[in-house]
Amino acid sequence: MAKYETVIGLEVHIELATNSKIFCSCSAKFGGEQNDHVCPACCGMPGMLPVVNKRVVDLGMTAGMMLNCDINRVTTFDKKSYYYPDLPAAYQTTQWFAPVAVNGKVRIETSKGEKFIRIKQIHMEEDAGKLVHDDWTDTTLVDFNRTSVPLIEIVSQPDLNSAEEVVAYLEQLRSLLRFAKVSECRMEQGSMRCDVNLSVRPEGSDKLGVRTEMKNMNSISAIERAIAYETARHIDAIENGTEELVQETRRWDDIKGMSFAMRNKETAGDYRYFPDPNVMPVCIDDEWFERIKKSLPELPSVKKDRYIDELGLSEYDADILTQSRALCDCFEEAYAVSGLVKESANWIISNCMNVLNRKQLTADMLNIDGKALGKLILLVADGKVGHANAKKILEAMFDEDIDPEAYANENGYIVSNDTGKIEGVIRAVVAADPKSVADYKGGKEKALMALFGKCMKELKGNCDPQVLRELLIKIINE
Amino acid sequence: MKLYLDENKNAAARKVVLNDMMLTTELSTTAGSKMLEGYKSLFEAEAVTRLKAAGFEIAGKSNVGELSLGLLGETSYFGAVTDDKGNLALAANEIVKTTDAVGAVGLDANGSFLRGAALSDQVAIKPTYGTVSRFGTVSVACSGETVCVSAKSVADAQSLLCAIAGHDDKDGTSLSDSECQRLCADAPRESIKKIAVAKSLALSADEATRAKIHAVVDALKAKGIEVEPIDDSVLIAAKTAWNALMCAELCNNVSKYDGVKYGYRTKNYTNIDELYTNSRTEAFGELLKTAILFGSEALSTENYMPVYDKSLRVRRVICERFAEIFKDYGAVLMPVCSKTAYTEKDVADNKYISFDEASYIAPAYISGLPAVVVGGVLLVGAAFSENALLELAKIAEEG
Amino acid sequence: MLYMNSDILRRLQKLNQLKLTDSEERDVLAFFEKQSAELESLSSAIDTENVERMVHVMPILTVVREDVVVKNFTREELQAGAPETMDGYWQVPRLVE
Repeated sequence: MAKYETVIGLEVHIELATNSKIFCSCSAKFGGEQNDHVCPACCGMPGMLPVVNKRVVDLGMTAGMMLNCDINRVTTFDKKSYYYPDLPAAYQTTQWFAPVAVNGKVRIETSKGEKFIRIKQIHMEEDAGKLVHDDWTDTTLVDFNRTSVPLIEIVSQPDLNSAEEVVAYLEQLRSLLRFAKVSECRMEQGSMRCDVNLSVRPEGSDKLGVRTEMKNMNSISAIERAIAYETARHIDAIENGTEELVQETRRWDDIKGMSFAMRNKETAGDYRYFPDPNVMPVCIDDEWFERIKKSLPELPSVKKDRYIDELGLSEYDADILTQSRALCDCFEEAYAVSGLVKESANWIISNCMNVLNRKQLTADMLNIDGKALGKLILLVADGKVGHANAKKILEAMFDEDIDPEAYANENGYIVSNDTGKIEGVIRAVVAADPKSVADYKGGKEKALMALFGKCMKELKGNCDPQVLRELLIKIINE
Repeated sequence: MKLYLDENKNAAARKVVLNDMMLTTELSTTAGSKMLEGYKSLFEAEAVTRLKAAGFEIAGKSNVGELSLGLLGETSYFGAVTDDKGNLALAANEIVKTTDAVGAVGLDANGSFLRGAALSDQVAIKPTYGTVSRFGTVSVACSGETVCVSAKSVADAQSLLCAIAGHDDKDGTSLSDSECQRLCADAPRESIKKIAVAKSLALSADEATRAKIHAVVDALKAKGIEVEPIDDSVLIAAKTAWNALMCAELCNNVSKYDGVKYGYRTKNYTNIDELYTNSRTEAFGELLKTAILFGSEALSTENYMPVYDKSLRVRRVICERFAEIFKDYGAVLMPVCSKTAYTEKDVADNKYISFDEASYIAPAYISGLPAVVVGGVLLVGAAFSENALLELAKIAEEG
Repeated sequence: MLYMNSDILRRLQKLNQLKLTDSEERDVLAFFEKQSAELESLSSAIDTENVERMVHVMPILTVVREDVVVKNFTREELQAGAPETMDGYWQVPRLVE
């Protein structure tokens, strides 16, 4: 049997993290009641004119720079026409002639090693609305909340050759764009989705096979399954002549595990692209370009190396922290305030992650103030707050903006240095538990721990453990 | 710096008519189409807000050809308007002629607003593109369409223009004050001493129209203004190019009228394609359908470069030709249309007459340059030369 | 250029969601023929070989707005003139997937 090579190019759509839509001032927030984030412009009424959201261009440029693209200093918008009920104006405004970024590359790592995937272009455009099919009335219901939400489309060259590479590439895009706060890249919310262009050719051949496109894939595992299925279908067609391959758009049915040719109108006609006369060319001057360039975050891989080489963190810790921009930001702020590297890392990796897990939040959703965390770490290091209470303060930091020290004061979490009070508590505990005292004196170390625990409980944790321990031993031995 | 002389600030309670391309919240806006019969906008045109702020009272809406296409208003779903002689007329001018309304304000892309004024001996101003906001108008051809004014006198037209001109954040093509200043640096500052007559365009009009041209020329000459014929072989190319650009943009702009969100919906459908096709087929008139199909084809993969892109390049050639002319002349005089009166028969005999008549208005529309209709002729000037053009218009008005 | 015949015209109608009558089709074909001839002569009359296309007549650049949310209208207002709605959705015949 001849060996085959799969050739894959991806078009990845990413919804940008803006407040408002690309051409009108409606909210771009995910969710909301149907047709609540809608105005005359984004439901296709006459009279409104598009005015570009500057933040969209900022994020388009940011994405371009993160993916090593050249930025088009004059970038323009064009109209693409077709009829579909999720497209209220019957045209989509996109970038056809001069996209914001071109000629980039993304480094991926797979079991076969390192590889660079070339980016053809990144263009800015508006999303379409959502269609809901209603079985009761046998009608389709139209929701324009997502209409005109800003997107970028990242078009790769056909440089990918396996599902593994595709997954590595998508993960890398997601990591870079989340780091740069371009998008949350949530596949489950549709803020990252992808069209897979796939063809198969005999290994060594330089002629591309017939290409099919699977649209709107929105889960990594479905993409893996679809690539496996489609590759097998192509090889089967080539080897056994089971069907004639045609260039077409297909829909992946993840439940059936099969792809189907689409009879969608959207695939039918001529899009008749032309420059939008209502949107003036966007000219990116040096000042704008430099502002975006300066705002770029350190790449996760560079950060990781720096954490290990300069800050002396373990590879394991650096790996976890650089998973998410939120963790890195929090860590760096906490470290800047506390000056304690290891403690800062530990507090995030163990304590913060525990709270996130309990609240069923992802690492990206860590939104506590890193500076406050730094202060908290110092309070613990200085022995002013005990560990148990520090965790309670951390919990509170997740819910509101607090100053750890003020909060500790208000809630009586500050370690007491009042030895008179501590002695009083110890004497009461010792008097109430002569058995443990006897056991300890009889050589049972554990009995001391029981007494220690009782004292600490009475003191509500507000006591330096070292001081307590010494006083306890002294009083028992009196 | 002021773009337009404001000679008549006292607009209080003066009435103005809006053509039915201007959105208002009180009255429906139909754009002359069955598709938008009874359509109520949730917001009003910026020009309307400014008229009200200047003290004008909106007297009402005037009928337009469907999406303002056609020669005058004859392609309107609501029927054609004729004057007391039985000739076709534009509703806006008829209302101004027969009521106490001071003038009309309306969106125009194919010249019917200018023709209407010329045929009823009124004055019209098409200001420089970008100086009046198009926010709240029913778009036809965004790259050239302009909110225009017409009135019985130059002074009235001027006061309407003063009320509506100025920057608007809601229109991305609206010029800011600083942009106006930058661009105005090249605009003529002094009174116009010499004008050109577009020779072949003038000769292509009928005798009565040429007589009007002569009358205006004589009036200008009497005030010492030099008049010279020029070669207009480049300018006449504007017609074909503007027809293509206008229809292509129109096709895109009216694609939103599909029977889904608002407006007319056919009763005769079982699936989405029938809903779209039957709604549009039943609600659109023949000329609009023709324009849509032509415009769509101009943008097709095969025709984009030889038709649409070519027309965009011709636009630049025409702008450059105008710039060259304006080095020597303050304005170009040309007919507004080929005759001084049109009957319903003229339109019945040639359904596409407005595409032919575009010869005269296309140079100004494709280039975005200001133009003034006075004495039944058209004066086209350099960008932001409205004041100078209106001085000429006053001479022509006084005869 | 702008070559047109009945087959192309039928596809063109479909693309634009329009249906002409037979007599309208005849007129439109004639219209296309006329425009085509005009465009042919334009092509030879004006040399645009080294001319840049001009989309916007005014040389202004970069008209952008700040990323601020404004809500002016309710769903009920926006759907007041809708031919058919259900539960706050616009409603159309079921689309075949």
